[in-house]
Amino acid sequence: MEQIIVNGLYLGAQYALIALGLTLIFSLMNVMNFAHGQMYVMGGFITYTVVSQFNIPFFIALIISGMALAVIGALIEKFLFRPVIKKSKRDESTMLLAAGIGFFLDSVILLAFGEKQRGVPKIIDGVFNWDFRIIMPYDRIVIGCIAIAMIIAFMLLMHYSKAGRAMRALAQDKVAATLMGVNVDRYQMIGFALGAMLAGVVGGLLVTITGINLGMGGPTSTKAFIMIMIGGAGVIPGAIVGGFILGMMESVGLSVLSQYGDITYLLIFASLMIFLAIRPHGLMGKPWG
Amino acid sequence: MNEILKLDNVELYYDHVYALKGVSVNLHEGETVALIGANGAGKSSILRAITGLSKIKSGSIHYKGKRLDGTLASDIVGQGIAMVPEGRRVFPYMSIKDNLLMGAFTRSDKAGITKTLESVLERFPRLKERYSQQAGTLSGGEQQMMVIGRALMAAPKILLLDEPSLGIAPKLVQEIARSIVAISRDEKVSVLLVEQNSRMAMSISHRTYALSTGEIVLEGNSKELMNDKRIKEAYLGGDL
Repeated sequence: MEQIIVNGLYLGAQYALIALGLTLIFSLMNVMNFAHGQMYVMGGFITYTVVSQFNIPFFIALIISGMALAVIGALIEKFLFRPVIKKSKRDESTMLLAAGIGFFLDSVILLAFGEKQRGVPKIIDGVFNWDFRIIMPYDRIVIGCIAIAMIIAFMLLMHYSKAGRAMRALAQDKVAATLMGVNVDRYQMIGFALGAMLAGVVGGLLVTITGINLGMGGPTSTKAFIMIMIGGAGVIPGAIVGGFILGMMESVGLSVLSQYGDITYLLIFASLMIFLAIRPHGLMGKPWG
Repeated sequence: MNEILKLDNVELYYDHVYALKGVSVNLHEGETVALIGANGAGKSSILRAITGLSKIKSGSIHYKGKRLDGTLASDIVGQGIAMVPEGRRVFPYMSIKDNLLMGAFTRSDKAGITKTLESVLERFPRLKERYSQQAGTLSGGEQQMMVIGRALMAAPKILLLDEPSLGIAPKLVQEIARSIVAISRDEKVSVLLVEQNSRMAMSISHRTYALSTGEIVLEGNSKELMNDKRIKEAYLGGDL
């Protein structure tokens, strides 16, 4: 029991970070970023490359991959999403664009990093063992704690910094935010960069635990969408709650349901459909809290 | 009195439909000017033209003698022109405190912001009582006070008010009218007031422009215009 909860928390913290980036982009720009999973995979490969090719310590590599993804996100926003949003009033246009960017990034990853599963050596050896009730390798504990610290930092940034306040204002009323002096273009770019950065950092975190491969992009996007559907799209606490709920469900599934076969995601999807039929806006469906 | 804002022959249209057909308006320092007229007469379009929310097609807008049209909408407030938009447009899921702080977004003088915040809360004590509450939970009148306070947080030279009485209980309309008078007196701010409630707008302004289908049809001293027969018939609904 304790083991399941701890595993769920560990998974959930990383999922929540992915969902936070996705929900930030959605709330600021009304864009469903189907390329979010690919950005995450890209972050993983960048971390791997920086560590294994250039012998740079893991934590610095993590920062580098976060910054690289922030730049990629900013460029994608400025040169792809911004003109499309200005020219087209239909939401499908940005959805198709996002899906296209996802495929494009997949090809870029294949070309640049290949199709092999990649990983970096453990950052810390050893396993935490509490009387065989909770068994957790130390590196997972460290990664989980980093993820939780980043969630807290993100929330503090959104609530107490001027830029965070501006982004929340923008998400709630673009015209009013403009009248307050918020440059919509600039803050949408900052928001997109921040969202992409979070994806990149989580990808980097994962590369030291399970490794990363080309095929993880699509499923990760899908998971991220499940999370924000559970929590409610465009809501910060919703993304966090959705992330931890999905993490817990997976953790329960892997330890309890696996004896009945590979049915975890079947059950998750089935329960999601029932849940959305009852609460289509998710648990906290309102723009930004 | 010095002229602070001047619109000269401004034309504006939305999707090929004229909203303003050559409108000239001026505003002096410390002055309160009312823009009255029916729905769709172009009152709000004048404010949208000033704040850059809509691009003008021809004509010019000067602020303190400098060309203002063409300035990015998000750069207007930093120059000293704050707007209270129609329908209030509070940030509903932000606290009153954060809403007010958003008003000072372009300012960086911390001490000055704190001072303005105190004066706004003193002016609207009700906001102080609900300081940490989400703005979406306030009543219409309270929200109107909050967005006026939010605009004041920018320490503006010009305050643009778009229909502040719309959807507000009659008793609160008087209170808001009184606070507009007090603000223009205390803060030495010029006010451009767009109103469908012509009676209220004219009673608290120095001058009035009356608009109809994108053109100014009458302008003059508010007290005199209030007794003008044409104004009475068209805007005040019969005798006072």
